[in-house]
Amino acid sequence: MNEEQHQQDMSVPTRRRLLQMGAIGAAAVVTVRPAMAQTTASLLTCQIPIPSGQYIAADGTLVAAGTPGAVPGGVTYTGEAVKAALNLNYTLPGATYDQHYAHLAYIRRLQSGQAGFTCYASLQMPR
Amino acid sequence: MIGAHYAADSSDAFSIVPLDALTAIYHRRSGVTHVVTDPVPQIIEALAGKTLSAEDLLSALAVDHEIVIDSETLAGLNARLDELTEVGLVSPA
Amino acid sequence: MRHHYSVKVGPAGFRIGSAWPQPIAALAQLYALYPKPIDLIPDFTVRLEPDTRLRQWIRPSVAIRGDFTLPDAVPMSLDHGLLAAELGMNLQMAMGQRNFLLLHAGSVERDGEVLIVTGESGAGKSTLCALLGETGWRFMGDEFALIEPETGLAWAFPRPVSLKNKAVDVVRAVAGEGRMGPMMAGTPKGDIRHFIPSPEALAAMDKPGKPALILFPRFGYARAARPMGRAEVFVRLTQASTNYVTLGERGFKALTRLVDETPVGAIDYPDTESALSLVEELWAARR
Repeated sequence: MNEEQHQQDMSVPTRRRLLQMGAIGAAAVVTVRPAMAQTTASLLTCQIPIPSGQYIAADGTLVAAGTPGAVPGGVTYTGEAVKAALNLNYTLPGATYDQHYAHLAYIRRLQSGQAGFTCYASLQMPR
Repeated sequence: MIGAHYAADSSDAFSIVPLDALTAIYHRRSGVTHVVTDPVPQIIEALAGKTLSAEDLLSALAVDHEIVIDSETLAGLNARLDELTEVGLVSPA
Repeated sequence: MRHHYSVKVGPAGFRIGSAWPQPIAALAQLYALYPKPIDLIPDFTVRLEPDTRLRQWIRPSVAIRGDFTLPDAVPMSLDHGLLAAELGMNLQMAMGQRNFLLLHAGSVERDGEVLIVTGESGAGKSTLCALLGETGWRFMGDEFALIEPETGLAWAFPRPVSLKNKAVDVVRAVAGEGRMGPMMAGTPKGDIRHFIPSPEALAAMDKPGKPALILFPRFGYARAARPMGRAEVFVRLTQASTNYVTLGERGFKALTRLVDETPVGAIDYPDTESALSLVEELWAARR
Protein backbone atom coordinates (compact mmCIF):
# COMPACT_ATOMS: atom_id res chain seq x y z
CA MET A 1 0.00 0.00 0.00
CA ASN A 2 1.59 3.32 -0.98
CA GLU A 3 1.47 6.57 0.99
CA GLU A 4 -1.43 8.04 -0.99
CA GLN A 5 -3.67 5.04 -0.39
CA HIS A 6 -2.71 5.01 3.24
CA GLN A 7 -3.80 8.65 3.59
CA GLN A 8 -7.14 7.87 1.94
CA ASP A 9 -7.75 4.97 4.26
CA MET A 10 -6.93 7.09 7.27
CA SER A 11 -9.62 9.60 6.36
CA VAL A 12 -12.34 6.97 5.80
CA PRO A 13 -11.76 4.35 8.46
CA THR A 14 -13.02 0.98 7.26
CA ARG A 15 -12.85 -2.33 9.08
CA ARG A 16 -10.56 -4.66 7.19
CA ARG A 17 -10.80 -8.15 8.56
CA LEU A 18 -7.69 -10.20 9.08
CA LEU A 19 -7.71 -13.03 6.55
CA GLN A 20 -5.41 -15.98 7.08
CA MET A 21 -4.57 -18.46 4.36
CA GLY A 22 -4.49 -21.43 6.69
CA ALA A 23 -1.80 -24.04 7.25
CA ILE A 24 -0.37 -26.09 4.39
CA GLY A 25 -1.50 -29.43 5.79
CA ALA A 26 -4.91 -28.30 7.03
CA ALA A 27 -8.15 -28.76 5.11
CA ALA A 28 -10.48 -25.84 4.46
CA VAL A 29 -13.16 -27.74 2.54
CA VAL A 30 -15.56 -30.52 3.53
CA THR A 31 -17.51 -31.87 0.57
CA VAL A 32 -20.98 -33.22 1.31
CA ARG A 33 -21.27 -36.84 0.16
CA PRO A 34 -24.53 -38.69 -0.44
CA ALA A 35 -25.68 -40.46 2.70
CA MET A 36 -28.22 -42.59 0.91
CA ALA A 37 -26.35 -45.87 0.91
CA GLN A 38 -25.73 -45.65 4.60
CA THR A 39 -29.36 -45.22 5.59
CA THR A 40 -31.02 -47.60 3.16
CA ALA A 41 -28.45 -50.31 3.67
CA SER A 42 -29.07 -50.13 7.39
CA LEU A 43 -32.74 -50.79 6.67
CA LEU A 44 -32.07 -54.15 5.09
CA THR A 45 -29.27 -56.60 5.82
CA CYS A 46 -27.37 -57.04 2.59
CA GLN A 47 -25.31 -59.86 1.18
CA ILE A 48 -22.26 -60.31 -1.02
CA PRO A 49 -22.05 -63.47 -3.16
CA ILE A 50 -18.78 -65.04 -4.26
CA PRO A 51 -19.55 -66.64 -7.61
CA SER A 52 -19.33 -70.38 -8.24
CA GLY A 53 -18.21 -71.95 -11.51
CA GLN A 54 -14.83 -70.21 -11.43
CA TYR A 55 -12.11 -70.13 -8.79
CA ILE A 56 -10.80 -67.06 -6.98
CA ALA A 57 -7.06 -66.30 -7.15
CA ALA A 58 -5.24 -64.84 -4.14
CA ASP A 59 -5.52 -61.36 -5.68
CA GLY A 60 -9.30 -61.68 -5.99
CA THR A 61 -9.50 -62.17 -9.74
CA LEU A 62 -11.65 -64.92 -11.22
CA VAL A 63 -9.68 -67.77 -12.79
CA ALA A 64 -10.43 -71.20 -14.28
CA ALA A 65 -11.53 -73.86 -11.80
CA GLY A 66 -8.61 -75.90 -10.56
CA THR A 67 -5.98 -73.17 -11.14
CA PRO A 68 -3.13 -73.79 -8.66
CA GLY A 69 -3.26 -71.41 -5.70
CA ALA A 70 -6.86 -70.44 -6.38
CA VAL A 71 -9.82 -71.31 -4.15
CA PRO A 72 -13.44 -72.15 -4.94
CA GLY A 73 -16.24 -69.64 -4.48
CA GLY A 74 -19.94 -70.45 -4.37
CA VAL A 75 -20.65 -68.89 -0.98
CA THR A 76 -22.55 -65.79 0.13
CA TYR A 77 -21.51 -63.57 3.03
CA THR A 78 -23.67 -61.06 4.88
CA GLY A 79 -22.64 -57.41 4.92
CA GLU A 80 -22.08 -57.70 8.66
CA ALA A 81 -19.62 -60.58 8.23
CA VAL A 82 -17.65 -58.72 5.56
CA LYS A 83 -17.60 -55.57 7.66
CA ALA A 84 -16.23 -57.55 10.62
CA ALA A 85 -13.61 -59.12 8.37
CA LEU A 86 -12.52 -55.78 6.94
CA ASN A 87 -12.55 -53.75 10.13
CA LEU A 88 -11.83 -56.25 12.88
CA ASN A 89 -9.93 -58.95 11.02
CA TYR A 90 -12.52 -61.61 11.89
CA THR A 91 -12.38 -64.64 9.62
CA LEU A 92 -15.13 -64.85 7.04
CA PRO A 93 -17.59 -67.47 8.31
CA GLY A 94 -16.80 -70.98 7.08
CA ALA A 95 -13.74 -69.86 5.11
CA THR A 96 -10.33 -71.51 5.17
CA TYR A 97 -7.23 -69.33 5.55
CA ASP A 98 -6.77 -69.08 1.78
CA GLN A 99 -10.47 -68.61 1.06
CA HIS A 100 -10.65 -65.76 3.56
CA TYR A 101 -7.96 -63.73 1.83
CA ALA A 102 -8.97 -64.58 -1.73
CA HIS A 103 -12.65 -63.85 -1.08
CA LEU A 104 -11.85 -60.55 0.62
CA ALA A 105 -9.63 -59.59 -2.29
CA TYR A 106 -12.48 -60.43 -4.67
CA ILE A 107 -14.87 -58.26 -2.65
CA ARG A 108 -12.45 -55.34 -2.69
CA ARG A 109 -12.37 -55.50 -6.48
CA LEU A 110 -16.15 -55.32 -6.91
CA GLN A 111 -17.37 -52.75 -9.41
CA SER A 112 -20.71 -51.06 -9.85
CA GLY A 113 -23.10 -53.48 -11.57
CA GLN A 114 -21.64 -56.62 -10.01
CA ALA A 115 -23.71 -58.54 -7.49
CA GLY A 116 -22.74 -57.43 -3.99
CA PHE A 117 -21.33 -54.06 -5.00
CA THR A 118 -24.01 -51.87 -3.36
CA CYS A 119 -23.68 -53.92 -0.19
CA TYR A 120 -19.89 -53.53 -0.17
CA ALA A 121 -20.13 -49.81 -0.96
CA SER A 122 -22.56 -49.27 1.91
CA LEU A 123 -20.02 -50.75 4.34
CA GLN A 124 -17.57 -48.01 3.38
CA MET A 125 -19.73 -45.03 4.36
CA PRO A 126 -18.38 -43.19 7.38
CA ARG A 127 -20.67 -43.41 10.40
CA MET B 1 3.28 -23.67 -8.63
CA ILE B 2 4.90 -20.41 -9.75
CA GLY B 3 3.24 -18.92 -12.80
CA ALA B 4 0.22 -21.20 -12.58
CA HIS B 5 -3.14 -19.51 -13.18
CA TYR B 6 -6.50 -20.36 -11.70
CA ALA B 7 -10.08 -19.68 -12.76
CA ALA B 8 -13.46 -19.95 -11.10
CA ASP B 9 -16.96 -19.90 -12.56
CA SER B 10 -18.81 -16.56 -12.53
CA SER B 11 -20.47 -15.63 -9.25
CA ASP B 12 -23.94 -16.77 -10.37
CA ALA B 13 -22.56 -20.31 -10.48
CA PHE B 14 -22.36 -20.38 -6.71
CA SER B 15 -24.89 -20.08 -3.94
CA ILE B 16 -22.97 -19.00 -0.84
CA VAL B 17 -24.60 -19.13 2.59
CA PRO B 18 -22.78 -18.27 5.81
CA LEU B 19 -23.33 -20.66 8.75
CA ASP B 20 -21.71 -18.98 11.75
CA ALA B 21 -17.99 -19.82 11.65
CA LEU B 22 -18.16 -21.74 8.37
CA THR B 23 -19.79 -21.16 4.98
CA ALA B 24 -21.90 -23.48 2.81
CA ILE B 25 -21.28 -23.26 -0.93
CA TYR B 26 -23.53 -24.88 -3.52
CA HIS B 27 -21.73 -25.22 -6.84
CA ARG B 28 -24.49 -25.21 -9.45
CA ARG B 29 -22.58 -26.74 -12.32
CA SER B 30 -21.59 -29.83 -10.33
CA GLY B 31 -24.56 -29.95 -7.95
CA VAL B 32 -22.10 -30.47 -5.11
CA THR B 33 -22.27 -28.79 -1.69
CA HIS B 34 -19.10 -27.87 0.19
CA VAL B 35 -18.76 -26.53 3.71
CA VAL B 36 -15.70 -24.31 3.96
CA THR B 37 -13.68 -22.07 6.26
CA ASP B 38 -12.17 -18.68 5.51
CA PRO B 39 -10.37 -17.81 3.22
CA VAL B 40 -12.30 -20.02 0.76
CA PRO B 41 -15.40 -17.83 0.30
CA GLN B 42 -13.16 -14.82 -0.15
CA ILE B 43 -11.03 -16.67 -2.71
CA ILE B 44 -14.11 -17.72 -4.68
CA GLU B 45 -15.46 -14.17 -4.61
CA ALA B 46 -12.15 -12.69 -5.78
CA LEU B 47 -11.64 -15.31 -8.49
CA ALA B 48 -15.25 -15.55 -9.77
CA GLY B 49 -15.36 -15.10 -13.54
CA LYS B 50 -11.64 -14.33 -13.67
CA THR B 51 -8.32 -16.04 -14.36
CA LEU B 52 -5.50 -15.03 -12.02
CA SER B 53 -2.13 -16.22 -10.85
CA ALA B 54 -1.78 -16.96 -7.13
CA GLU B 55 0.31 -13.81 -6.68
CA ASP B 56 -2.29 -11.58 -8.35
CA LEU B 57 -5.04 -13.28 -6.39
CA LEU B 58 -3.21 -12.55 -3.15
CA SER B 59 -2.92 -8.88 -4.13
CA ALA B 60 -6.63 -8.77 -5.02
CA LEU B 61 -7.53 -10.26 -1.63
CA ALA B 62 -5.26 -7.72 0.10
CA VAL B 63 -7.41 -4.86 -1.19
CA ASP B 64 -10.38 -5.78 1.01
CA HIS B 65 -8.70 -7.79 3.72
CA GLU B 66 -5.79 -7.43 6.10
CA ILE B 67 -3.11 -9.73 4.72
CA VAL B 68 0.64 -9.86 5.08
CA ILE B 69 2.00 -10.44 1.59
CA ASP B 70 4.98 -12.75 1.96
CA SER B 71 6.16 -16.17 0.87
CA GLU B 72 4.44 -17.90 3.78
CA THR B 73 1.02 -16.46 2.96
CA LEU B 74 1.56 -17.23 -0.72
CA ALA B 75 2.38 -20.83 0.16
CA GLY B 76 -0.81 -20.98 2.24
CA LEU B 77 -2.85 -19.59 -0.65
CA ASN B 78 -1.34 -22.14 -3.01
CA ALA B 79 -2.30 -24.91 -0.61
CA ARG B 80 -5.88 -23.60 -0.62
CA LEU B 81 -5.90 -23.35 -4.42
CA ASP B 82 -4.68 -26.95 -4.72
CA GLU B 83 -7.46 -28.03 -2.39
CA LEU B 84 -10.09 -26.07 -4.31
CA THR B 85 -8.85 -27.50 -7.60
CA GLU B 86 -9.15 -31.00 -6.20
CA VAL B 87 -12.77 -30.52 -5.17
CA GLY B 88 -13.68 -28.75 -8.40
CA LEU B 89 -14.43 -25.25 -7.10
CA VAL B 90 -11.50 -23.80 -8.99
CA SER B 91 -9.78 -24.94 -12.19
CA PRO B 92 -6.21 -24.58 -13.36
CA ALA B 93 -6.10 -22.25 -16.40
CA MET C 1 -49.75 -59.64 -8.16
CA ARG C 2 -52.29 -61.94 -6.48
CA HIS C 3 -52.86 -59.77 -3.41
CA HIS C 4 -52.55 -56.05 -2.91
CA TYR C 5 -53.21 -53.22 -0.51
CA SER C 6 -53.22 -49.46 -0.97
CA VAL C 7 -52.75 -46.83 1.71
CA LYS C 8 -51.96 -43.13 2.05
CA VAL C 9 -49.53 -41.93 4.69
CA GLY C 10 -49.22 -38.17 4.82
CA PRO C 11 -48.60 -36.94 1.25
CA ALA C 12 -47.47 -40.35 -0.08
CA GLY C 13 -49.74 -43.03 -1.54
CA PHE C 14 -48.49 -46.63 -1.61
CA ARG C 15 -49.63 -49.77 -3.36
CA ILE C 16 -48.22 -52.94 -1.87
CA GLY C 17 -48.48 -56.09 -3.92
CA SER C 18 -47.76 -59.52 -2.46
CA ALA C 19 -47.46 -63.08 -3.70
CA TRP C 20 -48.96 -64.23 -0.36
CA PRO C 21 -52.12 -63.12 1.45
CA GLN C 22 -50.67 -62.96 4.96
CA PRO C 23 -48.71 -59.68 4.71
CA ILE C 24 -51.71 -58.00 3.08
CA ALA C 25 -54.06 -59.17 5.84
CA ALA C 26 -51.60 -57.88 8.45
CA LEU C 27 -51.30 -54.53 6.66
CA ALA C 28 -55.08 -54.17 6.44
CA GLN C 29 -55.33 -54.61 10.18
CA LEU C 30 -52.44 -52.32 11.12
CA TYR C 31 -53.50 -49.54 8.73
CA ALA C 32 -57.27 -49.92 9.30
CA LEU C 33 -57.69 -46.25 10.29
CA TYR C 34 -55.56 -44.84 7.47
CA PRO C 35 -57.00 -43.27 4.29
CA LYS C 36 -56.58 -44.60 0.78
CA PRO C 37 -54.46 -42.84 -1.87
CA ILE C 38 -56.26 -40.02 -3.70
CA ASP C 39 -58.14 -41.59 -6.63
CA LEU C 40 -56.38 -44.79 -5.58
CA ILE C 41 -53.34 -43.69 -7.58
CA PRO C 42 -50.15 -44.59 -5.72
CA ASP C 43 -46.96 -42.55 -5.71
CA PHE C 44 -44.88 -45.61 -4.86
CA THR C 45 -45.25 -49.34 -5.32
CA VAL C 46 -43.81 -52.13 -3.23
CA ARG C 47 -43.85 -55.77 -4.26
CA LEU C 48 -43.26 -58.66 -1.90
CA GLU C 49 -42.06 -61.47 -4.16
CA PRO C 50 -40.68 -64.96 -3.65
CA ASP C 51 -36.91 -64.84 -3.67
CA THR C 52 -36.91 -67.73 -6.11
CA ARG C 53 -39.75 -69.74 -7.67
CA LEU C 54 -39.52 -72.50 -5.07
CA ARG C 55 -39.54 -70.04 -2.20
CA GLN C 56 -43.19 -69.22 -2.74
CA TRP C 57 -44.20 -72.43 -1.00
CA ILE C 58 -41.16 -74.02 0.63
CA ARG C 59 -39.80 -72.03 3.60
CA PRO C 60 -41.23 -68.95 1.94
CA SER C 61 -38.79 -66.09 1.73
CA VAL C 62 -39.81 -62.59 0.78
CA ALA C 63 -37.78 -60.38 -1.52
CA ILE C 64 -38.64 -56.70 -1.31
CA ARG C 65 -39.00 -55.15 -4.75
CA GLY C 66 -40.66 -52.05 -6.15
CA ASP C 67 -39.95 -48.90 -8.11
CA PHE C 68 -36.66 -48.87 -6.27
CA THR C 69 -34.79 -51.97 -5.20
CA LEU C 70 -31.82 -52.47 -3.00
CA PRO C 71 -29.96 -55.23 -4.80
CA ASP C 72 -28.13 -57.81 -2.70
CA ALA C 73 -30.64 -57.60 0.15
CA VAL C 74 -31.20 -60.71 2.26
CA PRO C 75 -34.75 -62.04 1.77
CA MET C 76 -36.99 -62.15 4.83
CA SER C 77 -39.17 -64.86 6.34
CA LEU C 78 -42.88 -64.70 5.48
CA ASP C 79 -43.59 -64.47 9.23
CA HIS C 80 -42.00 -61.03 9.05
CA GLY C 81 -43.93 -59.95 5.96
CA LEU C 82 -45.34 -56.91 7.73
CA LEU C 83 -41.83 -55.72 8.49
CA ALA C 84 -40.80 -56.42 4.90
CA ALA C 85 -43.65 -54.24 3.66
CA GLU C 86 -42.57 -51.44 6.00
CA LEU C 87 -38.96 -51.66 4.89
CA GLY C 88 -40.14 -51.61 1.29
CA MET C 89 -42.16 -48.45 1.91
CA ASN C 90 -39.18 -46.83 3.65
CA LEU C 91 -36.97 -47.71 0.71
CA GLN C 92 -39.35 -46.19 -1.86
CA MET C 93 -39.60 -42.98 0.16
CA ALA C 94 -35.86 -42.79 0.81
CA MET C 95 -34.95 -43.22 -2.85
CA GLY C 96 -37.94 -41.81 -4.70
CA GLN C 97 -39.28 -38.85 -2.77
CA ARG C 98 -38.73 -35.65 -4.78
CA ASN C 99 -41.29 -33.24 -3.38
CA PHE C 100 -39.81 -32.99 0.09
CA LEU C 101 -36.39 -32.96 1.67
CA LEU C 102 -36.35 -36.12 3.78
CA LEU C 103 -34.62 -36.17 7.14
CA HIS C 104 -34.07 -39.34 9.13
CA ALA C 105 -35.96 -37.93 12.08
CA GLY C 106 -39.11 -38.12 14.11
CA SER C 107 -41.39 -35.14 14.53
CA VAL C 108 -44.25 -34.00 16.74
CA GLU C 109 -46.38 -30.85 16.62
CA ARG C 110 -47.88 -28.49 19.15
CA ASP C 111 -49.83 -25.31 18.31
CA GLY C 112 -48.69 -25.37 14.71
CA GLU C 113 -44.99 -25.62 15.60
CA VAL C 114 -42.92 -28.71 15.00
CA LEU C 115 -40.24 -30.40 17.08
CA ILE C 116 -37.82 -32.46 14.97
CA VAL C 117 -35.86 -35.24 16.68
CA THR C 118 -32.96 -36.61 14.62
CA GLY C 119 -31.24 -39.95 15.02
CA GLU C 120 -30.32 -43.23 13.35
CA SER C 121 -32.66 -46.22 13.55
CA GLY C 122 -32.36 -47.63 17.04
CA ALA C 123 -31.12 -44.40 18.65
CA GLY C 124 -34.34 -43.96 20.62
CA LYS C 125 -36.09 -41.30 18.55
CA SER C 126 -38.97 -43.66 17.72
CA THR C 127 -39.79 -44.40 21.36
CA LEU C 128 -39.42 -40.75 22.30
CA CYS C 129 -41.73 -39.52 19.52
CA ALA C 130 -44.28 -42.25 20.25
CA LEU C 131 -44.41 -41.18 23.90
CA LEU C 132 -44.55 -37.46 23.07
CA GLY C 133 -47.54 -38.29 20.87
CA GLU C 134 -49.30 -39.64 23.95
CA THR C 135 -48.44 -36.69 26.19
CA GLY C 136 -49.79 -33.51 24.66
CA TRP C 137 -48.11 -33.52 21.23
CA ARG C 138 -49.48 -34.51 17.83
CA PHE C 139 -47.43 -37.38 16.39
CA MET C 140 -46.16 -36.64 12.86
CA GLY C 141 -43.75 -39.50 12.31
CA ASP C 142 -40.76 -41.38 13.70
CA GLU C 143 -38.81 -42.34 10.59
CA PHE C 144 -38.94 -39.44 8.13
CA ALA C 145 -39.45 -35.72 8.63
CA LEU C 146 -40.60 -34.09 5.39
CA ILE C 147 -39.44 -30.52 4.74
CA GLU C 148 -41.17 -28.68 1.91
CA PRO C 149 -38.49 -26.66 0.08
CA GLU C 150 -40.79 -23.87 -1.14
CA THR C 151 -42.30 -23.04 2.26
CA GLY C 152 -39.92 -24.52 4.83
CA LEU C 153 -42.87 -26.29 6.46
CA ALA C 154 -42.64 -29.78 7.94
CA TRP C 155 -45.22 -32.33 6.79
CA ALA C 156 -46.33 -35.49 8.58
CA PHE C 157 -45.58 -39.08 7.64
CA PRO C 158 -47.24 -40.83 10.60
CA ARG C 159 -46.57 -44.48 9.83
CA PRO C 160 -47.01 -47.11 12.54
CA VAL C 161 -43.89 -47.01 14.67
CA SER C 162 -41.84 -50.18 14.70
CA LEU C 163 -40.62 -50.70 18.25
CA LYS C 164 -38.24 -53.35 19.42
CA ASN C 165 -37.67 -55.31 22.57
CA LYS C 166 -38.02 -53.17 25.73
CA ALA C 167 -39.41 -50.15 23.92
CA VAL C 168 -42.54 -52.19 23.16
CA ASP C 169 -43.31 -52.56 26.86
CA VAL C 170 -42.60 -48.90 27.61
CA VAL C 171 -45.02 -47.64 24.96
CA ARG C 172 -47.66 -50.30 25.54
CA ALA C 173 -47.76 -49.36 29.22
CA VAL C 174 -48.71 -45.81 28.25
CA ALA C 175 -50.98 -46.40 25.23
CA GLY C 176 -52.51 -49.82 25.83
CA GLU C 177 -52.49 -53.17 24.05
CA GLY C 178 -55.20 -52.08 21.60
CA ARG C 179 -52.76 -49.72 19.87
CA MET C 180 -50.14 -52.40 19.24
CA GLY C 181 -49.67 -54.57 16.15
CA PRO C 182 -48.74 -58.27 16.16
CA MET C 183 -45.50 -59.52 17.71
CA MET C 184 -42.82 -60.49 15.19
CA ALA C 185 -40.08 -62.37 16.96
CA GLY C 186 -36.55 -62.91 15.70
CA THR C 187 -36.52 -60.41 12.86
CA PRO C 188 -33.18 -59.01 11.62
CA LYS C 189 -33.92 -56.01 13.87
CA GLY C 190 -34.94 -58.02 16.96
CA ASP C 191 -38.42 -58.65 18.40
CA ILE C 192 -40.72 -56.06 16.83
CA ARG C 193 -44.23 -54.77 17.44
CA HIS C 194 -45.76 -51.81 15.65
CA PHE C 195 -47.42 -48.99 17.55
CA ILE C 196 -50.42 -47.38 15.85
CA PRO C 197 -50.58 -43.57 16.03
CA SER C 198 -53.65 -42.09 17.74
CA PRO C 199 -56.83 -41.37 15.74
CA GLU C 200 -56.13 -37.65 16.29
CA ALA C 201 -52.67 -37.98 14.75
CA LEU C 202 -54.10 -39.81 11.74
CA ALA C 203 -56.92 -37.31 11.29
CA ALA C 204 -54.32 -34.53 11.18
CA MET C 205 -51.86 -36.24 8.83
CA ASP C 206 -52.31 -33.63 6.10
CA LYS C 207 -51.61 -30.65 8.37
CA PRO C 208 -48.08 -29.22 8.16
CA GLY C 209 -46.32 -27.17 10.82
CA LYS C 210 -43.44 -24.72 11.13
CA PRO C 211 -40.18 -26.27 12.39
CA ALA C 212 -39.42 -24.62 15.73
CA LEU C 213 -36.76 -26.80 17.37
CA ILE C 214 -34.39 -29.52 16.17
CA LEU C 215 -32.94 -31.90 18.73
CA PHE C 216 -29.95 -34.22 18.41
CA PRO C 217 -30.44 -36.78 21.17
CA ARG C 218 -27.96 -39.25 22.64
CA PHE C 219 -29.35 -42.06 24.75
CA GLY C 220 -27.38 -43.62 27.58
CA TYR C 221 -25.51 -40.54 28.84
CA ALA C 222 -25.92 -38.36 31.91
CA ARG C 223 -28.68 -35.78 31.51
CA ALA C 224 -27.30 -32.75 29.68
CA ALA C 225 -28.13 -30.16 27.05
CA ARG C 226 -25.80 -28.02 24.95
CA PRO C 227 -26.09 -25.71 21.95
CA MET C 228 -24.73 -26.63 18.53
CA GLY C 229 -23.06 -24.54 15.85
CA ARG C 230 -25.02 -24.05 12.64
CA ALA C 231 -22.27 -25.47 10.46
CA GLU C 232 -22.16 -28.69 12.46
CA VAL C 233 -25.95 -28.93 12.32
CA PHE C 234 -25.95 -28.39 8.56
CA VAL C 235 -23.37 -31.10 7.88
CA ARG C 236 -25.03 -33.58 10.25
CA LEU C 237 -28.39 -33.01 8.62
CA THR C 238 -26.96 -33.63 5.14
CA GLN C 239 -25.86 -37.01 6.48
CA ALA C 240 -29.29 -37.55 8.06
CA SER C 241 -31.01 -36.93 4.71
CA THR C 242 -31.63 -39.68 2.19
CA ASN C 243 -32.28 -37.30 -0.69
CA TYR C 244 -30.34 -34.09 0.00
CA VAL C 245 -27.95 -34.62 -2.91
CA THR C 246 -30.57 -35.72 -5.43
CA LEU C 247 -32.68 -32.62 -4.75
CA GLY C 248 -29.84 -30.39 -5.92
CA GLU C 249 -30.22 -26.70 -5.25
CA ARG C 250 -33.76 -27.10 -3.85
CA GLY C 251 -32.26 -29.32 -1.18
CA PHE C 252 -29.50 -26.78 -0.48
CA LYS C 253 -32.01 -23.96 -0.12
CA ALA C 254 -34.36 -26.03 2.04
CA LEU C 255 -31.63 -27.15 4.38
CA THR C 256 -29.80 -23.82 4.73
CA ARG C 257 -33.16 -22.18 5.43
CA LEU C 258 -34.07 -24.81 8.02
CA VAL C 259 -30.72 -24.43 9.76
CA ASP C 260 -30.86 -20.65 9.62
CA GLU C 261 -34.41 -20.35 10.98
CA THR C 262 -34.63 -23.16 13.53
CA PRO C 263 -33.02 -23.33 16.98
CA VAL C 264 -31.09 -26.52 17.64
CA GLY C 265 -30.01 -28.38 20.76
CA ALA C 266 -28.06 -31.51 21.60
CA ILE C 267 -29.46 -33.49 24.50
CA ASP C 268 -28.07 -36.46 26.41
CA TYR C 269 -30.33 -38.60 28.55
CA PRO C 270 -30.02 -41.80 30.60
CA ASP C 271 -33.70 -42.73 30.50
CA THR C 272 -37.05 -41.87 28.94
CA GLU C 273 -38.20 -39.70 31.85
CA SER C 274 -35.16 -37.44 31.50
CA ALA C 275 -35.73 -37.27 27.75
CA LEU C 276 -39.30 -36.11 28.13
CA SER C 277 -38.42 -33.46 30.70
CA LEU C 278 -35.46 -32.22 28.64
CA VAL C 279 -37.76 -31.88 25.63
CA GLU C 280 -40.21 -29.72 27.59
CA GLU C 281 -37.37 -27.62 29.00
CA LEU C 282 -35.75 -26.92 25.63
CA TRP C 283 -39.12 -26.36 23.97
CA ALA C 284 -40.03 -23.71 26.52
CA ALA C 285 -36.67 -22.00 25.94
CA ARG C 286 -36.60 -22.44 22.17
CA ARG C 287 -36.67 -18.85 20.91
